[in-house]
Amino acid sequence: MPEQSVLEATTVPTAPSGATKPRSRRVLGSGVIDSLVVAGPLVAIVIVAWAIAPNFMTGANISNILSNAALLAIVGFGMTLAITVRGIDLSVGSAQAFAACVTGISVNSLGVVPGILIGLLAGVVVGALNGMLVTLFAIPAFVATLATMTAMRGVALLTTDGTSVYISDPHFTQLATLSFGGVELSVVVAILLGIGTWFLVRHTTLGKHILAVGGRPQAAAESGIRVSRVLLVVYVLAGLMVGIAAVLLSSRLAVVNGTYGVGLELQVIAIAVLGGTSLAGGRANVVGTAIAALLLATVNSTLNLLNVPSYWQYVAVGLILLAALSVDGIRRMSKSRTGRASQAGGAA
Amino acid sequence: MNTATGTAPAMPVQMEEEPAASVSLARRIGTFLARQYLAGVLLVLVALLSVFQPAIIGAGNINSVLLQAAITGVSACGMALLIGTGLLDLSVPGVIAISALTAAALLPNTTIGVAIAGALAVGALAGLINGVLVAYLKIASFIATLGTQYLFLGIAFIVTEGGIVPIESYYYRSMATQSLGPIPVSFLVLLVVAGLAYGLLYWTHFGRGLRAIGSNERAARLAGVPVSAFKAAAFVIAGVSFAGAGVFLSGLLSSASGTMALSFELNAIAAVVVGGTALRGGRATLAGTVVGAVLFSYLSNALNLLGVASYWQYVLTGTVLAVAVAAGSLRRGPEARGAD
Repeated sequence: MPEQSVLEATTVPTAPSGATKPRSRRVLGSGVIDSLVVAGPLVAIVIVAWAIAPNFMTGANISNILSNAALLAIVGFGMTLAITVRGIDLSVGSAQAFAACVTGISVNSLGVVPGILIGLLAGVVVGALNGMLVTLFAIPAFVATLATMTAMRGVALLTTDGTSVYISDPHFTQLATLSFGGVELSVVVAILLGIGTWFLVRHTTLGKHILAVGGRPQAAAESGIRVSRVLLVVYVLAGLMVGIAAVLLSSRLAVVNGTYGVGLELQVIAIAVLGGTSLAGGRANVVGTAIAALLLATVNSTLNLLNVPSYWQYVAVGLILLAALSVDGIRRMSKSRTGRASQAGGAA
Repeated sequence: MNTATGTAPAMPVQMEEEPAASVSLARRIGTFLARQYLAGVLLVLVALLSVFQPAIIGAGNINSVLLQAAITGVSACGMALLIGTGLLDLSVPGVIAISALTAAALLPNTTIGVAIAGALAVGALAGLINGVLVAYLKIASFIATLGTQYLFLGIAFIVTEGGIVPIESYYYRSMATQSLGPIPVSFLVLLVVAGLAYGLLYWTHFGRGLRAIGSNERAARLAGVPVSAFKAAAFVIAGVSFAGAGVFLSGLLSSASGTMALSFELNAIAAVVVGGTALRGGRATLAGTVVGAVLFSYLSNALNLLGVASYWQYVLTGTVLAVAVAAGSLRRGPEARGAD
């Protein structure tokens, strides 16, 4: 699909050389529209869920949806960055299980603060491993992270020997549900990380480099961006997000297990793509990811409230992902049809 | 596929050379062996393990390794076709589950032949769904098939309500487990399947088209290869091969369930890659795939016999896959390694 890469570059607002103002305004506008495109289905699903599911509009359920969405969104922000540089991180579920197990064990043996730090470090280590496989060894991201996904699942199960580890420290287990004016800590963290990621992409040099590497890797390299370093940073950030989510998850559940997070990669890729981050790279929509996380959490919670067997959630998530991907694919196809004439001259 | 390769500026454009008649047999064998360097590494490992645990090379154990290798290998042959086309299918566990469940549902009422045909038909249908998503809706293959993996698994769990469907047919079970001498029949089937896949890939117009797509999709399209139709057909053929693996696996387990083949896609991909097929597409070695499947099964079997915790198998599979791909990727030289 080289034609897409050439094409996508024309819509990158922040390419280091020759970015013009009208272009960035247009892309910013389309970003807002993309977010609204996801918000529409979210509103529709909330209305439907309110109508058909008993107890949907209760405080407990709303707060449950919000904290589930927060954990999804935190991992989703990292995935958004990975997809923006044309990568992917399939290892998020296993990495979350690994980081959660490490957190649980270290909180029990070393205390709350070292436990949290070690948990975050575990996420960063997996991210760095992914980043090194992708940059140093030049392995395609989906295969590299498929390999770490499997390996880290094994390591996660080995750390707890396949059993559950209960976390006894009450300070740690109350952390995630700590309330800030009625809003749980995990939601606050998700909002802060969302703003941070948005700011990173829109207003920092690193963010410009991320968009440039995703939009047109070769051009980015030729204009002096150290592509490998950008990729490594993105995977480490994605790993850090996974670590943060893992700490919050283990605090919330007060028990950790090596089987956590199976299928998480699917849900998180689904929210990133649904949120309007294109698999073609070069375009990040952080706000869309957050809204799509709310959408997915609402769907899951509604299926639970309706007593639909959990297997149906597999099907629901699979269908949501494929629908979002089809929209992404069709959008790229229609773009490449209109852009083919201009592309013919522009191809290097 | 290129959307996910990070920094690769352009697909390497050279087409794999057809083996010319003038090239000597010795040189061809030499090239073949050079591609099997990882198989060599695993062979050394197996030899070392056998020293610690002599039961590993016992006749009964060889039989069970070949049984396992046949199941991995049959699905790996389909995977090799896809990887040669520059595609990937992660939906293997889902396809195996729904096709085996189809056979299990048909068996009490019909003959074994009809049950197997039904399973293969379901595999073809699943492959067609993957093919349409990838070839016509232009979704990157690894992510489209990740979605359908959960879709198919979800269907399998819903149909079985999370349980196991037993298979009581004696002949179906013995079809999957009987042996000719020390060689299981399913392994002979694998050799036939690998031969068919080789013939398809290297001796037919269709196979030439697939390799052209794998080498350089745009060039293939400009040369008049019906890219979308060929890609969809490759997925259908791969779906049938996964269903074939599902038939053997359900016969071996005497049952079918949603969880019967979880993370089996890794084994299939690892067998192909360890066998010496590069993920960039354009060519695939079927002989290497069979060798990869055998050695991979041998290694995990040896770990079982040595009493290593089953969780290490995950670590092993992931590590072997990463090392195999990294070695292949480093060998092809810096010019193809990306923009850095």
